Amino acid sequence: MKEFALMMIGAALVNNVILARFLGLCSFMGVTTRVDTAAGMGFATTFVITVSSMADWAVQTYLLEAYGLGFLRTVTFILVIASAVQFTEMTIKKVSPSLFQMLGIYLPLITTNCAVLGVALLLVEGKMGFLEATMFAFASSVGYSLVMVIFAGLRERLALAHVPRLFAGPPIAFVVAGMLAMAFMGFSGIATS
Amino acid sequence: MSGDSLSTPLAAGATLPRSVEGIARVVRISGQQVWLEPEQTTSCGHCASSASCGVKANEDAAGIGSLASRLQARRFVLDGPSSLGLVEGERLVVGVSEKALLKASITAYGLPLFFALVTASVVQSLYGEDAKTILGMLAGLAIGLLAARLGARRLAARGELAPRFLRRAMPGETCGTT
Repeated sequence: MKEFALMMIGAALVNNVILARFLGLCSFMGVTTRVDTAAGMGFATTFVITVSSMADWAVQTYLLEAYGLGFLRTVTFILVIASAVQFTEMTIKKVSPSLFQMLGIYLPLITTNCAVLGVALLLVEGKMGFLEATMFAFASSVGYSLVMVIFAGLRERLALAHVPRLFAGPPIAFVVAGMLAMAFMGFSGIATS
Repeated sequence: MSGDSLSTPLAAGATLPRSVEGIARVVRISGQQVWLEPEQTTSCGHCASSASCGVKANEDAAGIGSLASRLQARRFVLDGPSSLGLVEGERLVVGVSEKALLKASITAYGLPLFFALVTASVVQSLYGEDAKTILGMLAGLAIGLLAARLGARRLAARGELAPRFLRRAMPGETCGTT
């Protein structure tokens, strides 16, 4: 149980998808101008990463590994992720058209989010069981969402701050992102071997 | 998207407390109902700043998966503001409250995920087999989606999911300037 908890903390904070593995950087810069949109994107990505990782694990274990088709892994995972996003979009539209109207905008963006594919490939490298893989994917995506919301909060404050003209906009955002990455390096002190 | 009745207008010039705003174009007016199509706020070539952002490909493409069909699918109805004398092609600023966005996210994504993870954990601890855990997770996901449906119905009944008319968009006002 302790190993399980440490694995999840490691996936969320120590080896953070954005700040340590540098995945999902386009959404990190593009959707973090406001906290609420960052949170919406974070929830949607958490759902898609977890669900598609479950599907990827099953495909890897029962199809690719079983029939020696490992060389098709990347292509297959991309297909599975696209299907998972489409499934999510269709399901939300069916469950509640109002929710789809409000949140549907995030879903097409997730299809091209490399963090989703990155987490799925990390699962394969880790040779995990199903529940362990699912929890790893969930923790990774929670780490992604956490960083998105923190960075959006910082950018909302930056928008009100007096920033030198040459640094205004994306340059100061990149500087802040670098500082945030350094701050997260502090979590490596609790890393497990 | 079908013609959900999504909104109640606010008084002209009013703003929602801490609202998320977006720009939509009037595409049809029938009686008291005004049909709106959201302007795409990501690289699409449909918003008023498309000329400067340089992404205008596929603007008029039709068919499954195209931008045109995706935008058409996201059309929604605004009830009531016909008294404002809106005309087709006019651009409006509509908004929903921040809390509503968060509640909607939790309902749509958080609930199904919570149920899926809990049932997968319970089944794994009971049986310890991956195949049974997958089945348990799928069952949990289905239960979660059902719970999401009920939750969304409650939110919709309270009118929390309805975008509201805030004001007419100013000439040249775009996603980047709201």
